[in-house]
Amino acid sequence: MRVLVLAAASFITFKWLLVPIRTEGSSMLPTYAPDKLNFVNRLAYAAGKPVRGDVVAIRMAGPHVLYVKRVIGLPGERVAVRGGTVFINDKLLDEPYVKHRRAWDVDEVVLGSSEYFLMGDNRGMSAADHDFGRADLDRILGKVVF
Amino acid sequence: MALPRVVTITAVVLLLGGGALYLARPDDEGAPIRKRLQSFAEAVNRSTMDGAGPQSRAQQLASYFTDDVDVEFGGGAAPIRGRDTLMGMAERLQPRTAMFRLKFEDVTVAMSPGGEAADVHLTAEFIRRSITSGEESLDAREFTMTMRRVDSEWRIARVTAVDTLR
Repeated sequence: MRVLVLAAASFITFKWLLVPIRTEGSSMLPTYAPDKLNFVNRLAYAAGKPVRGDVVAIRMAGPHVLYVKRVIGLPGERVAVRGGTVFINDKLLDEPYVKHRRAWDVDEVVLGSSEYFLMGDNRGMSAADHDFGRADLDRILGKVVF
Repeated sequence: MALPRVVTITAVVLLLGGGALYLARPDDEGAPIRKRLQSFAEAVNRSTMDGAGPQSRAQQLASYFTDDVDVEFGGGAAPIRGRDTLMGMAERLQPRTAMFRLKFEDVTVAMSPGGEAADVHLTAEFIRRSITSGEESLDAREFTMTMRRVDSEWRIARVTAVDTLR
């Protein structure tokens, strides 16, 4: 019976609460290296909303393939990137987690009432090879932890 | 009641409830479409290593599309209209696709009334293997598709790339 309980508890935990993911690609370097195991806390936003700086998992068609990105802009904000530096509502954003930068330029976008602006930490790569942009809150599956 | 007993009973109830729901689930009418897409992915992957000529490979894949298939990758790329155009492009791309595998994940199917067409939403994974180092890298893209039943076979009629991050 104990084994059964343990199996059920593990199944529920790792299926719906703390979902294990394996990171691929280099867009979150140096914070998250490729081929490492991390977890997504699916309850992180049950009682609150993502805040700037959170690293979140964003679903594509479903929960099995996810983007891992950092929350840069919050709903209603204006976000622009000039010469590799992020500006939120025209104010420079301090990003201590970014270690390498190229001179990316992104035209200003105004986020909708449920939109977040998401980017990886590796700004040393070409902007063309880096997926970033806006996503609705319902795309955010949870917060990446560990 | 002692706490371990509560946990045990809760777990048993959840297991039994889950099992009952699984057994009572309705028939999956999207199953033939999932199977067809799986078969398409296998055909694509086989075509990269079977040694057949580009024309033969394109013919194998052509049966998965309707004559008037429409493919929109977005991002400024010109749409591809018609199976002949698509297969012509596939023939020309064949040598470059030799080291990748295609896999579909999170496939959801919504059948249209009448059951002769269906809307599909999925994530396509492209797993590329470096010819020099042998290392694998993964690229993924979200797509919506329309599939139609033609001559009793499910065929892809429309493919549209979805920008997960806009």
